[in-house]
Amino acid sequence: MHISEGVLSPAVLIGGAALAAAGVAVGMKNLEQKEIPTIGILSAAFFVASLIHVPAGPVSAHLILNGLVGLILGWKAFPAILVGLALQALLFQFGGITTLGINTLNMALPAVICYHMFKNSLKTGMNKHTVIICAFATGFLSVLLSGIMVGLSLYLTGEAFLPAAKLVVIAHLPVMVIEGTLTTTCILFLKKVRPEILEGNHAS
Amino acid sequence: MLLKNPHNTVGFGLTYHIFCLIFTMLWLLFLPASVSAHNVTVFAWVDGDTIHTQSKFSGGKRVKNAPILVYNSKDILLLEGKTDENGMFSFKIPQKTALKIVLKASMGHLAVWKLQAEELGEAKSKSAVQPTGMNEPLVTDSGSAGIQRNADVFGSTKISIGRREIEEIINASLDKKLQPITQMLADAMNQEPGFTEIMGGIGYILGLVGIALYFTNRKRNR
Repeated sequence: MHISEGVLSPAVLIGGAALAAAGVAVGMKNLEQKEIPTIGILSAAFFVASLIHVPAGPVSAHLILNGLVGLILGWKAFPAILVGLALQALLFQFGGITTLGINTLNMALPAVICYHMFKNSLKTGMNKHTVIICAFATGFLSVLLSGIMVGLSLYLTGEAFLPAAKLVVIAHLPVMVIEGTLTTTCILFLKKVRPEILEGNHAS
Repeated sequence: MLLKNPHNTVGFGLTYHIFCLIFTMLWLLFLPASVSAHNVTVFAWVDGDTIHTQSKFSGGKRVKNAPILVYNSKDILLLEGKTDENGMFSFKIPQKTALKIVLKASMGHLAVWKLQAEELGEAKSKSAVQPTGMNEPLVTDSGSAGIQRNADVFGSTKISIGRREIEEIINASLDKKLQPITQMLADAMNQEPGFTEIMGGIGYILGLVGIALYFTNRKRNR
């Protein structure tokens, strides 16, 4: 899912960086003190998740966890994912510094989209089945959308869209299922112990 | 930003602990299954007049059927090929300049390995300095070199091994001896992120959280 340096054209890199910067700015606006630890913890979880390697599938793929980050943080997923990606680039050599912007956009935007799609279903009063389905859909869809966005980035640089996107999506099918399950587990757990986190107190 | 309800600060200690718990559980659960993920590496080494390349995802999985492009120092494409089932691709040295070997794995992954002209140097001197015969002595300014001269001294024994032939033999045996070492290097090129990197990253994030809290706190107390 991390696009390496030297693959994309400068136009795509700059465009991606600009959009990512805009996203981070939205996320940093109205940042409240009590949200900071949550953002940090989710950023750390995102950072480490990329080391969890899923051996199934044609190429090696790893967990991304952007769905969970997005569902809890909303727009604040942008700064959380940016920090995680920057450290992954510096310490693990995943992706790269020049592709930081586009990679942030590819992973954080689907997270925010899923957040807006499913946030209401997590509030109190919803029945458990809805919560399970929506949490699973968040984990699944955010990876799917990220895959499509990676395909789109490659397409804008001149690769054929369909083969590129198809390959990324197929490679990440096992990851999507695992992330869906993982997101569901975490959300159910949080709902039981700290339901107010999911009420939108931590996300605007 | 001012906090609407300062008593909430008591609450987020618990949040913190819960997240720590989830996160640690997650981490411990998957850690034994090997810490690995995918960036790609390509490693190239010279063996006689051939260049071998080995391509891997981190985690050791070989990159199969991925295109390899070879450029010279002026970024002109010299040749391209595909990696085989073991992620290997070999080719004859196309040009004795510095070479840039680019691996294009799928999904926007790319890796580069640069071979310096000196690494190809042996092959260069072979063909450039003495294009005539293999067994002829190397003629330098100070006369013909090496064992050939000794052979003249002990004329009767008729040892006539050209200096280039000796070089050839030494090179061949060196290549053989160095084979395991280059292989080891190829494997070592692919270091997975270890405990230090992981803990370092988490430390950075906690540091950033601390800095952010410091600044918001200063605003609040003003």
